[in-house]
Amino acid sequence: MRKYYLVAAAALAVVAVGSAVPVLRGNTVPDTVIAQLEGDPERGAYVARLAGCIACHTNEAGGGELLAGGPPLKTPFGTFYGPNITPDPISGLGNWSLNDFARALRHGISPEGEPYYPAFPYTFYSKLTDQDVADLWAAMKTVPNADIPSKTQELGFPFDQRWALRGWQNLFFDSERFEDDPSRSDAWNRGRYIVEGPAHCGACHTPRNLLGAGDAEQALHGAGGLPGGERSPPITPAALGERGRDENNLAFGLRFGTKPNGDVLGGSMGEVIRDGTSWLTDEDLRAIAHYLLNNETE
Amino acid sequence: MRNLKLKILAPVGALIIVASTGLAFAHGGATGIVKERMDLMDAVGKSMKTITEMFQGEKPFDAAALREAAAFIGNHGGEQMTRLFPEGSIQGPSESLPAIWQDWDRFSELANDLTKYASALAEAADNPRGPGMGASMNQGRQGGMGTSPMGRRNPMMGGSSSSGMPMNDPAALAKMPPDAAFARVTQTCSACHTQFRKKQ
Repeated sequence: MRKYYLVAAAALAVVAVGSAVPVLRGNTVPDTVIAQLEGDPERGAYVARLAGCIACHTNEAGGGELLAGGPPLKTPFGTFYGPNITPDPISGLGNWSLNDFARALRHGISPEGEPYYPAFPYTFYSKLTDQDVADLWAAMKTVPNADIPSKTQELGFPFDQRWALRGWQNLFFDSERFEDDPSRSDAWNRGRYIVEGPAHCGACHTPRNLLGAGDAEQALHGAGGLPGGERSPPITPAALGERGRDENNLAFGLRFGTKPNGDVLGGSMGEVIRDGTSWLTDEDLRAIAHYLLNNETE
Repeated sequence: MRNLKLKILAPVGALIIVASTGLAFAHGGATGIVKERMDLMDAVGKSMKTITEMFQGEKPFDAAALREAAAFIGNHGGEQMTRLFPEGSIQGPSESLPAIWQDWDRFSELANDLTKYASALAEAADNPRGPGMGASMNQGRQGGMGTSPMGRRNPMMGGSSSSGMPMNDPAALAKMPPDAAFARVTQTCSACHTQFRKKQ
């Protein structure tokens, strides 16, 4: 209970501070000028694998239609439901433009100007390249319509105050595209792009503060309090090394879920592998493994 | 001098003690049926390791050894596995969760899946290797993005999890590259451990 008050007080403080920031970035339409890009739906389906869209937006276990709304995601802040993102004009994204889609993914703002909860990992998707966004959008448009209304998010006070997310975004979120580090190899940069961008590894493997923002200093150090009471292990180079990981068996493990000792990865990582990483190219899996084992830069 | 030796040897000795108790602890105190199934899981894990090392290219690919290891796993799934889980047997160092007996149908189904897919893997041992580690620069698993990515039911899924899709059919898997059946085996292990084994 004491922790609840602490969190509530902190949340209100954030709202106060965030709202006092004179430039409400959320009110200015981000200058995404990618509408001219031609998207490739096949590449987009691959980006969807990288980004794990299906897991949160499809209720597989409940037999739901593809991308018509996800299963409950129970977090310390409340229960989130991934909304319907099929092209249905009433319940889905049928009336969205590519720019609307890009703004949602990379800026966390709906076409109506409403900020999204960071349970939607736009803090990671903001790194997506223009082309990946356009490809993903082309793929989204080929999904069958489903006129199933999105569920309302179930959050208690103060987290149900959506306007307060402007403050949150002002304090904790910069929408920045990915930039290659020219001193590193192509594989390292590709791996970093995937890990920090679409694959949003840090959403589970980086601890969050009391307000749900990732702790950059503890990036990929593992975290508790995950949906379903799970705990993620650290995936820093040192921690992976201790667990007997090298680039080969890590890349292989991301395809097959195997560990060096003959055991397999379980929990929600099992699902991430089954529906996500096992579909990636060898080249990308090796890039991820290479980056994870060699990212001790800062 | 003796003190110095002691200073060096004491930690070494302590390490040895810690290491040996660590080994003993893995199954320490397990008796009867719990010990029997923990030993079995160990043996299955060894077979998995053999297969993994081969697939990863750490050991030369050996179809006969793959067949043998996969058959061993297949022979110890199904009832051969579930008979080792009498109701409520979670004593001692057991890592089993009571959920096993609350959802016995699912537990049995996964145990049967293990036999189905491991047997398919044994049958597929001589098939050419498919997309996967070792075959460089190719695409990921079949259906991920190769064919029309959206448009069919669950096209983004490419048939990975919905039952009734080819990836779940052991007869089809037996004719595919062994990688496909191996993926189903590891997914079965993962699903069962996630639901029915204590968190590690």
